Amino acid sequence: MEGNLVNVLIYGLVNSAVLMLTSLGFSLTFGLSGVANFAHGGLYLFTGYITWMFLHYLGLPFLPAALFSIVIVGLIGTVIYRLILMPVRGIVLSEVIATFAVGVAILEFFRWRGFVTYEFNLPSFVKGSITIAGVNVDYQRLFIIAIGIGLAVFLWIFSHYTKTGLALRGMAQDEYTALSLGIESDWAAGLSMALGSALAAVAALAILPLGLISINIGYDVLLVALAVTVLGGLESTVGLMVASLLLGYAVIITGTYLSPHWMEVVYLAAIVLGLAIKPSGLFGKFKELEERV
Amino acid sequence: MLEVKNLIVFYENALALNDLSLSVQPGEVVGVFGSNSAGKTTLLNTIAGLTWHLKHRELRKGGQRITIAGEIKFAGEEISAVKPAERVKKGIVLCRERHPVFRDNSVEENLRLGGYMRKGSEIKVMMEFVYELFPPLARLKRKKAGMLSGGEQEMVAIGMALVARPKLLLMDEPLLGLSPAMQKEVVRAVREIRKQGVTILLAEQYARPVIPVIDRGYVIENGTLVVSGTGAELLDNPEVRAAYFGIEESR
Ligand SMILES: Nc1ncnc2c1ncn2[C@@H]1O[C@H](COP(=O)(O)OP(=O)(O)OP(=O)(O)O)[C@@H](O)[C@H]1O
Ligand SMILES: [Mg+2]
Repeated sequence: MEGNLVNVLIYGLVNSAVLMLTSLGFSLTFGLSGVANFAHGGLYLFTGYITWMFLHYLGLPFLPAALFSIVIVGLIGTVIYRLILMPVRGIVLSEVIATFAVGVAILEFFRWRGFVTYEFNLPSFVKGSITIAGVNVDYQRLFIIAIGIGLAVFLWIFSHYTKTGLALRGMAQDEYTALSLGIESDWAAGLSMALGSALAAVAALAILPLGLISINIGYDVLLVALAVTVLGGLESTVGLMVASLLLGYAVIITGTYLSPHWMEVVYLAAIVLGLAIKPSGLFGKFKELEERV
Repeated sequence: MLEVKNLIVFYENALALNDLSLSVQPGEVVGVFGSNSAGKTTLLNTIAGLTWHLKHRELRKGGQRITIAGEIKFAGEEISAVKPAERVKKGIVLCRERHPVFRDNSVEENLRLGGYMRKGSEIKVMMEFVYELFPPLARLKRKKAGMLSGGEQEMVAIGMALVARPKLLLMDEPLLGLSPAMQKEVVRAVREIRKQGVTILLAEQYARPVIPVIDRGYVIENGTLVVSGTGAELLDNPEVRAAYFGIEESR
């Protein structure tokens, strides 16, 4: 029982970090430009497969392969905006359907090409593990926590101290005032898609090494991103962190004391409860969504 | 400096500007007066390019809700088809109505963002100028703009526009909703800004408080020009007096 408790404490924290990292990109894009990028899961998995190809077909070392993947996925994010989202900008349902279609197309393409066997996995950055209070944790999982914290700090500095970050936040708050100062809305939305997609790639590179890559992860990632964003509200980093912690621990507790089968249900319940009780999220500032739902 | 000729703006269900022509000479302060939905905001937004932006977004979605026709010349150059950001670069800066500020950002961040199109050194100089022009802002630097009073937000909004280094500053109802004391502050600021060589086109519903600072004014009604003249001339016109100065007393 004692060991179980420490287990829950540690793995709950790890799981929270995984959730936060998984949903960071989705929530950032939504918060900055109002685009719900339902291709998030597709891009996440795409990162896994192309990095695997860089490693195995081109024989690149991990670091360059990872950097390439992040840049490529970021560019794809902008391209999705320019080609697919720009014509339907502002029509929320069309945006969701269009991006979801892209995500499904990516995922099912890989299924069609036979990327379903057991050989697909990414290497951990660091091998080995450490024992904390009798519980064994591998370094990769601790790394995920560090990356999660690191990215949160980086994004905070970016959005508060750089011209580009301030401009993106300005555009998110008041489009016409931003326009009247010379900030362009397509540039801002395209960039926020690029940033969100690149963050999906970073998350994939950090988290996928924990297991095998499989198509269904793409759909799970989207579900998780939705659950955390709905619960945490848009645009607020603190909300995202708290929601990740709540869900992260809820899932581990459910898995440990109830049954692992129920873990998926927790995400769905979070989405349903979140939307029913407070559509703008526990920490949301966007009243707009509340009215829309 | 600015030459607007036969400008027509048509929204789906409303003719907002109907064959409007006006001009602004370098260094002038020119007023545009008109009652609710006369077309003041549409005029300024069209000069700044926001209407162009709206039209193009609609076009992209397949709608043709907005029609813009006529000429807008700035410093001799036709700018009707120029993007808003390019117009800012050329020196046309709009301070929108109801003093919109970036509420989650500090006053200082708002001002810095005003200079988005400008170099760091220019931004610094202009921010100093804004703090001198509106001393209360220097005290409120770190405060979130959303927490400020309406008057303070107006100062921030004007400040942002100034940091953008306008040659032509478009001000949309800067006095709207302000206390008489705050109105005096803004009128004083307009005087100071003009001293810097900035040309100003200013829209207001009620002319009286700004009559002392304007060189000339235009009165528009339903998107059409009714009269134009110097401040004194407008004051002498009995119709204008009744419509745009009389109500002012009861405000
Ligand atoms: N985005 C829009 N879509 C459709 N019609 C609009 C739009 N903006 C303005 N209008 C219409 O155009 C006309 C002119 O409005 P405008 O806002 O330019 O007037 P205004 O003089 O600024 O009024 P106010 O004193 O209330 O600010 C009005 O009839 C208004 O309903
Ligand atoms: Mg108006």
